[in-house]
Amino acid sequence: MQEKLTTVQEAISLVDDGNVVALQSMATQAAPMALVRELIRQQKRELGLVVLVGGMAVDWLAATGVINRLIGAAVSMEQFGLCQQYRQSVEQGLIRVEELSESLLNARLGAGARSLPFLPSRGAIGSDLIAQNPENLVMLDDPFGGSPVVACRALVPDVTLIHAHRADRFGNIQYQPTAMWPDISIMPKAARKLIVSTEKIVDSEVLREHPEKTILPGFIVDAVVEIPFGAHPTSFFPNYGYDSRFHLEWAAASRDTVAAGKLIDRYVLQPEDQTQYLKAVGGDDTINRIRDWEESR
Amino acid sequence: MTQDWRRSPLAADYTVDELMVVTLADYFQNDDQACNGMASFIPAAAFMLARMTHAPGLVWIASSVGLDPRPERIPASTLEAPLWKDSIMYLDQYTGFWDLVLDGRWITKFCVGAAQIDQFGNANNSVIGADYHSPKVRLPGTAGLADMCSIGKDLYYWVPDHSRRSLVEKVDYISGAGFLEGGTARDQLGLGGGPQVVISNLAVMDFHPQSKRMRLKSVHPGVTPGQVQTATGFELIMATDAPPETRPPTCEQVRLLREVIDPASMRKHGIR
Repeated sequence: MQEKLTTVQEAISLVDDGNVVALQSMATQAAPMALVRELIRQQKRELGLVVLVGGMAVDWLAATGVINRLIGAAVSMEQFGLCQQYRQSVEQGLIRVEELSESLLNARLGAGARSLPFLPSRGAIGSDLIAQNPENLVMLDDPFGGSPVVACRALVPDVTLIHAHRADRFGNIQYQPTAMWPDISIMPKAARKLIVSTEKIVDSEVLREHPEKTILPGFIVDAVVEIPFGAHPTSFFPNYGYDSRFHLEWAAASRDTVAAGKLIDRYVLQPEDQTQYLKAVGGDDTINRIRDWEESR
Repeated sequence: MTQDWRRSPLAADYTVDELMVVTLADYFQNDDQACNGMASFIPAAAFMLARMTHAPGLVWIASSVGLDPRPERIPASTLEAPLWKDSIMYLDQYTGFWDLVLDGRWITKFCVGAAQIDQFGNANNSVIGADYHSPKVRLPGTAGLADMCSIGKDLYYWVPDHSRRSLVEKVDYISGAGFLEGGTARDQLGLGGGPQVVISNLAVMDFHPQSKRMRLKSVHPGVTPGQVQTATGFELIMATDAPPETRPPTCEQVRLLREVIDPASMRKHGIR
C-alpha cells in the first residue's frame, strides 16, 4: 500500500489557487480547522468553498480573502451568532453565494461521486433557490409520469478536507461509530483529491481490530496528517466539545476587521505548528475544559 | 412522565415563551416523529414537554442526529451532543436522516423558524434586500428549510419577535415555500403539506382555507387583536371581532419547563 502520511504543509500544497474545496463542517462542529489554518498560512486565493453548514472556518477564510465563492446550505455559529466577516464580504459582493438546500447539495455531491450528470430531488421546489441557479438546478419532468423533480448538476470539488478520529499511515480512515453526522458520507467520495487530518495515526493492525469503523479506504486518500485537537475550536464528538470561550472571543472581535485581523495573526499566522497553536489557545487548561464538554452542557 | 399534568390548574404565573412552548407542543402527538435544527429552543422544549405529558410516544430525532434522546436539560446549542445524550441511534445526515425525511411516510411535521415570514407562509432565511448578490443583510441560509417546505410536511412556524420586520407582506427571498402567491399556487406545483399555524409571542395565526392568507386564530392573554395587527406587516384576516384567547399553560407544564426541561431558560432566546 502507498504511504499517505505527510505534513500539513505538504498536504495543503495539494490545493491550488482557484480550486473548489469542500469542507466537513457544522455550525460549531467537526471542522478540520488545522487544515483551514494552513490554507490561510499558505495564502491560497480565489477558492470556492463547499459547506453543508459553515461556521468559524468560513469566517476565517472570508476575513483573510482566501475564498471568493461559497456553495452551501447555511453559514452560522449558532448561539455565537452570524459569521460577521463572511456576512460583510457577501454584502460587499466579495463572496458570491450559491445557496442550496441540504438535499440539493447532497444530490449535487452524490452525482459528482457517481460520475452522473445530475441527481434529482424534490427538495426546494417552489423556493427561489431554483430560479436563482439555472446553471446547476433545472426542473425536469419525471420520465416515468410522476410530478416534476429538480435536476441537480454534479458537483465535483477539486479537494475535500475532513477531520477523523484515527487513521493508519496508508490513509485508511476510521471514524467513531457514533455520530457519523457531518459530511463524511459523500464529500470525500465526490472530490478529485481528499486530504484528511486525524486525531491519531495508529498501526494498521489496530484498524484491523475494528474494520467496521473504517469509513474510507486509503486508495481514495491523497494525504493524511496527524493533528491532535485538529478540529479545535469546533467540537469533535466524542473526544471534545466546542471551545465556548474561543467562539465568544472571535464573535466579539469579528465585527471589526482590524480586531479580527489581530486574532487571525495570534491564532493562525503566528503559531508554527499544532503544539504552538494549542499553547496559544490556552494549553492544558483549554484541553481539559473542552475534553470535559464543560461548557456545552 | 408525570401523572398529574392533566388535572393541574391553569397557571397564573407564566411567561410568553412558556405559552409558545405549550401551544406548539399541542400539535405533536404520540404517533408523530419530530426533529429539530439549530437554535431551535422553542421546538426542542415543546417536544420534551409533549413527551413528558400528552405524547410519551412522540419520537424525537434531536438535532436531526440522535433518535429518542434523554438530554439532562436543554443545553446552549440545539445541534451539539448534549442534546442527543443517551440516544438509541445516531443518524448520519446524508443517508440516515435525509432518506427518512424525504420518504413521505415519516417525520410529517416540521417546525419552521425564519427571519421573515409573509402573509402566505413563505419563509426567508437567506437575504434581506432586493439584490441577492450584494444583499443588505446576508442571513444564515436555508439549510434544510427549503427541503422541508417542499416535500409534503405540515409546517408549524414559531416567531419569537412578532413585528413588521418578521411578519412581512412579501418575503425578500423564498428560502422555504409556503403557499407561494396563495390560492392554489402550492397545489399547482404538486407540493403536499404546507403551513398550518404560526405561533408568535403575541398570537396564534392559521391560514384561510381558500385564499391561504394568514388569519388571526387566537390572541395571547393580555394582547388585543389591534395590537397584533399593528405589529404585523400586512392585513391579517380577522375571522371574528373577538378572537378567543390562547389557552394558558397549566401549573404543571410551567413547572416541568422551569425545573426539568429548561432550567437555563434557553427558550427565551430571541423573545421580545
